[in-house]
Order: sequence, then structure tokens, then C-alpha cells
Amino acid sequence: MSTSSTSLDPPAETGKRHGSFVVGGREGRARAASIVRWTFLVVVVIVLYGPLLILALFSFNDSIVIALPFKGFTLEWYREALQNPLVRESLKNSLAVALVVTPVALILGTMAAFATTRFRYRGRGGVAGLAAGPLIVPWLILAVGALLFFSKLKVPLNLRTIAVMHIVVAFPLVAAIVTARLVRFDHRLEEAARDLGATNREVLRYITLPHLVPALAAAGILAFSYSFNNFVISFFVGGFELTFPIWVFSTLRHAQNVPIVNAISTLVSLAQLLIVYVAWRLWRRRSRKMTANDDPMDMLW
Amino acid sequence: MVATAPSVQPSSGETTRARPRGRWAGPIYSIAPTLVLVALFLGPMVILLYYSFQKASLAGAGGWTFDNYTSILTDPTYAKVMLTTIVICTISMLIMLAIGLPLAYILAMRTPPRFELLLLLMLVIAEELNPLIRIYAWRMILGRGGVINWTLQTIGLIDEPIDSLLFSSTAVIIVLSTTYISFTTIPIYAALKAVDPDLLEAADDLGASFFTTCRKILLPLAAPGIFVAIILVYIPLFSEFAAPALVGGTSGYMIGNAIQEAILESGNRGVGSAMSFMLLVLSGAVAWIGYRMAKIRRLQATS
Repeated sequence: MSTSSTSLDPPAETGKRHGSFVVGGREGRARAASIVRWTFLVVVVIVLYGPLLILALFSFNDSIVIALPFKGFTLEWYREALQNPLVRESLKNSLAVALVVTPVALILGTMAAFATTRFRYRGRGGVAGLAAGPLIVPWLILAVGALLFFSKLKVPLNLRTIAVMHIVVAFPLVAAIVTARLVRFDHRLEEAARDLGATNREVLRYITLPHLVPALAAAGILAFSYSFNNFVISFFVGGFELTFPIWVFSTLRHAQNVPIVNAISTLVSLAQLLIVYVAWRLWRRRSRKMTANDDPMDMLW
Repeated sequence: MVATAPSVQPSSGETTRARPRGRWAGPIYSIAPTLVLVALFLGPMVILLYYSFQKASLAGAGGWTFDNYTSILTDPTYAKVMLTTIVICTISMLIMLAIGLPLAYILAMRTPPRFELLLLLMLVIAEELNPLIRIYAWRMILGRGGVINWTLQTIGLIDEPIDSLLFSSTAVIIVLSTTYISFTTIPIYAALKAVDPDLLEAADDLGASFFTTCRKILLPLAAPGIFVAIILVYIPLFSEFAAPALVGGTSGYMIGNAIQEAILESGNRGVGSAMSFMLLVLSGAVAWIGYRMAKIRRLQATS
């Protein structure tokens, strides 16, 4: 709505759009303010993405030393990175862990969200507070605690302990996202479905779940990247196992910049971008379909 | 609101079976998440507290003691590390608020919807990418042969590359304050998005300047968002250890590094867990202060 974007220009409530800029009565001042805003936005985008772009550029640089000026174009670093056994192992481990963590976190998180929003019982506040814990306690502290905990119980440290601790931090996030969605859910829809003779399972299948799909999809992507990107927890509770962030860290810790890290980082970042892009397209298509046709069958996929 | 009331009779007999809606449904749903959290969240926290009061010994624990805390509190090295940590975190947080507040305002109120969505998506994606990759990327910009030094040398502003750009507290601040911009901006954006535009128009009609509007309307209404941003960003900053380890050098050595060194390198569980626990208490204090401030601000805004 244009009111929200024009209302701050002094007498520009009647402001009309000119391209992407809003031009109001005091045209000069409004235009100056607009230029300042766009410059600011561009600077922020450069700060956020510029470093990654430079990292990607250096991955094609034909020199073992990462420094300007560029020496020429090569794909050698990509070949080396993809053939490096440690890179392959760490990526495989990270993917395996994230693929286990994501569904478990979705299930536990959704259960926690239902438990804290849909029912009233003694101890509900306690459950909600407990589920907020891992979101507030810094990961480093939880990681140290978990390391001491596992070693006290003589649990061997490996990918399993990594996955378990990733679940502990990821599912409260899922719970928070699903809770936010459930709170905005109109329960009369479920009541209406029951009035019309729907069974419990049908209500869940055709009313509640379709409503939760966007939240679950977003939560799933976030849980996956929480796990895939997590460094601190894996570093402490992973023993000698290698995950991708641990490999990056230990490679960079005692070495100068390494071109194969550039190459593999570029590939991993592109893959992550692709996942978000595909999810975004799917969501767009779904929401367009939903407005065109209100059949709940379509809302699910 | 409450969905537990069985206001609707099932239409056929077969649906009465296994309906998770009665008195026990809530507790049943909460069993698995609660068990996981009690075992794997509270468990580690209790163990942390336990070890922080144990004498260091090779076997792991050697009897109750308060020494871990006294040695941290009396040792000036730790005081210095703590001071560095507080300074780095606070400056980074202020920089992020200085970027996040105007950014959230522009996104929420001054951007055409098409760009608003695109920019939000860019913020979210920036958050999705691996933070270690971002830290590494900054090394290529700040390093000896990095982009900044090369540019300055090419222009002729400097003859020798500036070494202090990388491996310093400045580098840590630069890296940290660009890492969490999304987490700072999005909660403030959400709070501002809920502001009724009429309020701003009214302020405008009554002759309020832009800065008065900011101070009297936007800031108080953004306060809950700022509080969330502080919880999400300021607290994790204190336990940061990858960034200082990779770009911090000695002047950017933070409490997270000290904890990592105590636990993983020198095997001093007592001191390591005592530091962790003190950090936890500090985080709690910051969260509580932020919460109180957000509340007071909101009360002032509504009265």
C-alpha cells in the first residue's frame, strides 16, 4: 500500500510514484531523501554480499597466493577441491547430519508448538520456558556443557553427538516459528470442518497442516542451515569427526588463505542460494494457486 | 480461543477413538520435546555448574571448591579479556543498530513493496550462508595482499601494506558487525511494520520534525524489536569464538577463545566451566535489562 511508504514525506500524502521513487510536493527535498535512502540500501547490500563476491572471484584466480592483482583465470581450484578427500568427507558428514537433524527438529518442534499453544494444563509455562532456553543460551556455553556432559557419561564423541546437539538447538527454533503461525490460526476453521463431519485426521490433513506448510517449510530450511552451518557445537562435541565448517576452520586456523577453500565455499554458497531460491519459487507458485482456487487440496502442495 | 473445549460432538462413533484433545493431549504432545530438553539442555547446564565448583584434576573432578571463580575474578588477564570482549561486542552491537535501525525503517516504510520483498529476501539469504565463509571472505579484504591494502597502494596513499587491518580487534569488530545485520534488522522491521502510518501522519500534521517523530514515535514503538535484536545478537556476540580466532590476533582475543583454550587445549574444566557459567549469568543479565528497558519504553509511549 502506498500510504505506508509515502506517509512520512511532509505534505506528500498525495505523493505519486515516479518509477521507484516517491515524488511529493517538496520535490527537491523528497528526491534528496530518496537518493540518500537508495545509496544506503546499496551500501548495505555491498557490505553483505561484496565480501562473498570477492571470495568467489579469487576462486578463479590462477595463483596459489590470494592477493591482487589477478593472475589469470583457472578452474584448477575447483578440480582440486572436489578431489580433496577431506573436503568430500566433511561435506558428506555435514549433509548427513543436517538430513537427520531437519526432520527430527521439525517433528519435535511442531509437537512443542502444539503443546504450548493448543492446550492448557499445569506446567505449560514451564515447557514454553524450557523450549526458549536453547534460543537464549549462547551456543558456546551449551557446547561446553554438552562436551562435559558427554564425557561425564562416557558417551563417545562422533557424528551422533553432533546431530543430537544440533537437534537440541534447532527444534526450539522450529517451535518458535510454528507457534507464531499457530497463534494466528483461526480455530473456527477446524470447528467448522468438524461440524461438517470431518474426522480428526481429516481436520489435521486438510485444515491444520495446509495452514502450517509455509511455516514448516521456512522452519525446515532454517533448521537445515542451522545444522549445516553450525561450527561451535560440532567443534566441541564432534570429537575427531570432520564437518564442513570444522574443515574450513581448521584449514584457515594455521594457514594463510587457501584457494581451494574459496572454490568449495563458492560452490556451497551457490547450493544454499539455490535451495532458498527453489523454496521461494515453490512458495510463490503455491500462494498464487491458493488465491486462484480455495480448494484445501491445492493448498497442501 | 481454547481448543480443548469439546464443543463439537463427533458425528459418528468411530471418530471418538484416539482424539488427542482431552486433558492429557497437551502433556502428551509435550513429553518428547520436554524429555529431550531436560536430558540434553538442562543436563549439560547442570554439569557445567557442577564442574565450575570442582577442583581441577586429571580424573575430571576432585572435590568441591570455589577456587575456579576466585582465580578468574582475581586474575587481571581474565579481567582484560573480559574488558576486550565487552568493548568489541558493544561497539559491534552499536554499529549494527546504527545500520539496522535506518535499514528497518526504510524497508518497513519507505520501500516500494516489490523491492521490500527482494531486500528482505537478500537479508535472510545473507543469514543463511555459512558464517565461517563470511569471516574468511573478510580476510581477503583486510589482509596484507588484500583488497584494501592493494587499493591504497595502487592509488599511492601508502607505500607499505597496513598489517594491523587483519588480526586485530578492529578486524573482529568489522567481521562481527557485518555478520549479524540481518538478525538486528528483521525484528526491528517487524516492530515498525506494525506501526500505524496514521500516527506518523498525525505527528507530521502537528508540525513534528522528522527527528521528533523518530524520538517520540518510531523509537518507542520499535523498542520491542530492538529488545529482540539485542537478545538475538548482543548475547551471542559475547560467546563468539570463530571470528576472533580467525581474524582477531592477540588484540582481538575474546572470552570465547579463553573458554575454548581452557576446555579443549589446556583441559582445565573447572576454570573453563566457571567462565562459561559467568558468561551465562552475564547473558541473563543483559536479557533481563533489555526486557525491562523495552517494557518501560513501551509504557512511556502509551501513556
